[in-house]
Amino acid sequence: MTLTRKDVRTFLSTNKIVALLLVIAVIWAFFGYMTYDADLGGSQFLTARNFSNLLRQMAITGMLASAMVFVIVAGEIDLSVGSLLGLLGGIAAVLDVSYHWPLAGTVAVVILLGIVIGLFVGWLTAYQGIPSFIVTLGGMLVWRGAVLGLTGGITVAPASEPLKVIGQGYLPDLGGDVLAALLFLLLAVMAFRTRAGRIKHALPVSSIVVEVLRLAAIGAVILGFVLTLDSYRGVPVPVLILLVILGVFTIVGQKTVFGRRIYAVGSNLEATRLSGVDVNLVKMLVFGMMGLMCAFAGLTTTARLAAGTPSAGTGAELDAIASCFIGGTSMRGGVGTVIGALVGALIMASLDNGMSMLGVETFWQQIVKGVILVAAVWMDIVSSGNTR
Amino acid sequence: MGDYLLEMRGITKEFSGVKAIDGIDLTVRPGECVGLCGENGAGKSTLMKVLSAVYPPGTWEGTILWEGKPLQARNIRETEDAGIVIIHQELMMVPHLSVAENIFLGTEPTTFAGFVDYDAMNARAAELMKQLKMPDINVALPVMAYSGGKQQLIEIAKALNKNAKLLILDEPTSALTAAETATLLELVKEFKARGMACVYISHKLEEVAEIADTVTVIRDGAHVATAPMAELTTDKIITLMVGREMKNLYPKSDHTIGEVIFEARNVTVFDTTNTTRKLVDDVSFQLRRGEILGVAGLVGAGRTELASHLFGCWKGEHRGEIFLEGRPVRVHSPRDAVRQGICMVPEDRKRHGIVPLMGVGHNITMSVLPRFTRLSLIDEEEEMAVIQAEILRMKIKTAQPLLPIASLSGGNQQKAVVGKMLLPEPKVLILDEPTRGVDVGAKYEIYKLIFELAEQGVAVLMISSELPEVLGISDRVLVMGEGRLRGDFPNTGLSQEQILAAALGKQDKVAA
Repeated sequence: MTLTRKDVRTFLSTNKIVALLLVIAVIWAFFGYMTYDADLGGSQFLTARNFSNLLRQMAITGMLASAMVFVIVAGEIDLSVGSLLGLLGGIAAVLDVSYHWPLAGTVAVVILLGIVIGLFVGWLTAYQGIPSFIVTLGGMLVWRGAVLGLTGGITVAPASEPLKVIGQGYLPDLGGDVLAALLFLLLAVMAFRTRAGRIKHALPVSSIVVEVLRLAAIGAVILGFVLTLDSYRGVPVPVLILLVILGVFTIVGQKTVFGRRIYAVGSNLEATRLSGVDVNLVKMLVFGMMGLMCAFAGLTTTARLAAGTPSAGTGAELDAIASCFIGGTSMRGGVGTVIGALVGALIMASLDNGMSMLGVETFWQQIVKGVILVAAVWMDIVSSGNTR
Repeated sequence: MGDYLLEMRGITKEFSGVKAIDGIDLTVRPGECVGLCGENGAGKSTLMKVLSAVYPPGTWEGTILWEGKPLQARNIRETEDAGIVIIHQELMMVPHLSVAENIFLGTEPTTFAGFVDYDAMNARAAELMKQLKMPDINVALPVMAYSGGKQQLIEIAKALNKNAKLLILDEPTSALTAAETATLLELVKEFKARGMACVYISHKLEEVAEIADTVTVIRDGAHVATAPMAELTTDKIITLMVGREMKNLYPKSDHTIGEVIFEARNVTVFDTTNTTRKLVDDVSFQLRRGEILGVAGLVGAGRTELASHLFGCWKGEHRGEIFLEGRPVRVHSPRDAVRQGICMVPEDRKRHGIVPLMGVGHNITMSVLPRFTRLSLIDEEEEMAVIQAEILRMKIKTAQPLLPIASLSGGNQQKAVVGKMLLPEPKVLILDEPTRGVDVGAKYEIYKLIFELAEQGVAVLMISSELPEVLGISDRVLVMGEGRLRGDFPNTGLSQEQILAAALGKQDKVAA
């Protein structure tokens, strides 16, 4: 069988993630080549240190994007996440710096607040019928105003050492290795349980060789990932948090009733409602998830800067939304994955990081990012044959 | 041979190596009405898309002669300029624009300054409405002020305005009431008398039999037969369409009717916009275990609104009591209804039935998904086993159980939607136009299923605008008109005329 252009196209449109990883490979190869310096002993972009930085840079956008993808899949939008991140980060800073709360207390209160605010926004949208664009546009102003009032417009510093760990810490090498091994074991057990289940119900299964090869590939990726990070300072704590979120949200999206219903609501709200699903509840909970992620992102931001700043998270909503769209989430709802959104965030972070390294001026960085966003969505439309 | 208006010969169209239609012939003489019949997926739509240049010349093989000369149209606009106008199954109207604006969309008359000449436009539109025997339509009102049936006629006015020589009607009556259908058929006959030709595509063979001079039947993309209607009967057409003899359209079976299981009392439903207008006015009825109750009536009689009330999905004001197995039940949302054992297959499959991007299987299990969870995770294997069983039971034709449902034919989509509503094991099943836009084969399957359910003791409430279907399926028939219950007949020796008379409120004409 010869491989035609069409075959490649169908493969890429059904395996969007492969296409996205190819894009990352191209971007990394480009920056790797451009930053090559024989005197410094090789490419400056493709180092363990920079890889670690890159992941830390994308962690905050990634957290927001992980929940934003569900908001968009459900057919809604949330423009207030940047401001909410700022507010929750500010609250964390105030509790930590001014009131010297223990870390556990600060984290608990901020997370609870995030969920409550998210649910409230969701309630306004789902039960009161105010379009989410409007509610969250309002929220964007309200939360930003609140954080300005709370901090008095000045930076709240310095954050306590325990809090800083969330944003700046690294996992010891051994810890990272053990976690990686556990993750691999978990994936292997899940793969074989699925297989056993399919055989039990007489459903088709792929051959055992393919299964083992696939697991081996996954193992190689995990191993490479951990070893690279270990050769610098270990797995950064925010990256670990992001990976846990990725795992949990992927399971929520694909293996739970709630997740299935998010997609159904986004694809056809009325049909879902008439199937006996409480669609308003689904929508409200999605915004609750978004609020939770704002809390995570807010805590991480404050911890990383070791301070609460009134402007923290400005524009973060746009980065998160752009990550989702680059990652193949459909504007019309019903389509999108967490891993896609995170790869989208990684693409954005790679562009930021690489261009900064090359000394490209900030205005150019913005222009390039904007062009990449539009181009990515355009390619997605062309490849799926949805042009009008 | 030169007397054909349209001559399509050996039309073959391939999609990625698969022949959707293979060497089809279709000829139309001036003033002739050709009925084009075939099951869903037989290739009727593809053939019409070739004709209207949705698929431009070069993407298909064969020849098209229009008035004796090769047709040189490269897009819909050019086919319309030539005089071929297609009216699609789904109406192509801009709801907020006025009737006149819709009729003149793209061909607006302008004053010499370049502004739209509304006076000329409205006058001409009113003239067209008179020709269509609808002088009471206000052409300055938005199109959405009129019912689906009126809109269909407005669509025809649009075609007339384009000076169509050949009118192609693709399932024009699928959303029309019996009376509206009759008006439409009258109009087509009148156009014929004036020399306009038409191609009439419909699953409703009675209509084809009434107006077609010639019938062309296609099956699986191939030409099966072309014959004068005078030599055919609807039974013969069905045999040609399905390629086997279908003696009995309605596979009636014996089922025992038990005690009263469901009762609705004094249901009144108000319009969502005009909140004092009653769409359903004080309707009460009972439904027995294992009974199939047909609900007939014209569009706008309030049948769908009644069903919406029973299923808890009416968005406006509504009141009334519902009793299930003798106990009063509260139904505030479809969720309540499904939990109580009342399920509904909605009328508008595309808008209310399917979740297009999701797989067939995931559509089917949507209502009962929590059933498959273990530690709040879905046991996909268990779910898949149920999906496959359901696909077999409903005879859904799909390449894979998780293929997006939107890629299936209408009949298979409908079977999946019905399957979805059977999984919660309803005590009462409401079917709102269950066979709309569904081919003969799938219809038969759905009827068979309805009887099976009745045998199992499910009470079925079936709303249908197709009177033969109502008579063929029901044990008892309710007739609604203008929101009121106008008749409740046992289906023994009941005739279409009796139902229609009751629906129109001519009680005196109903033989007691």
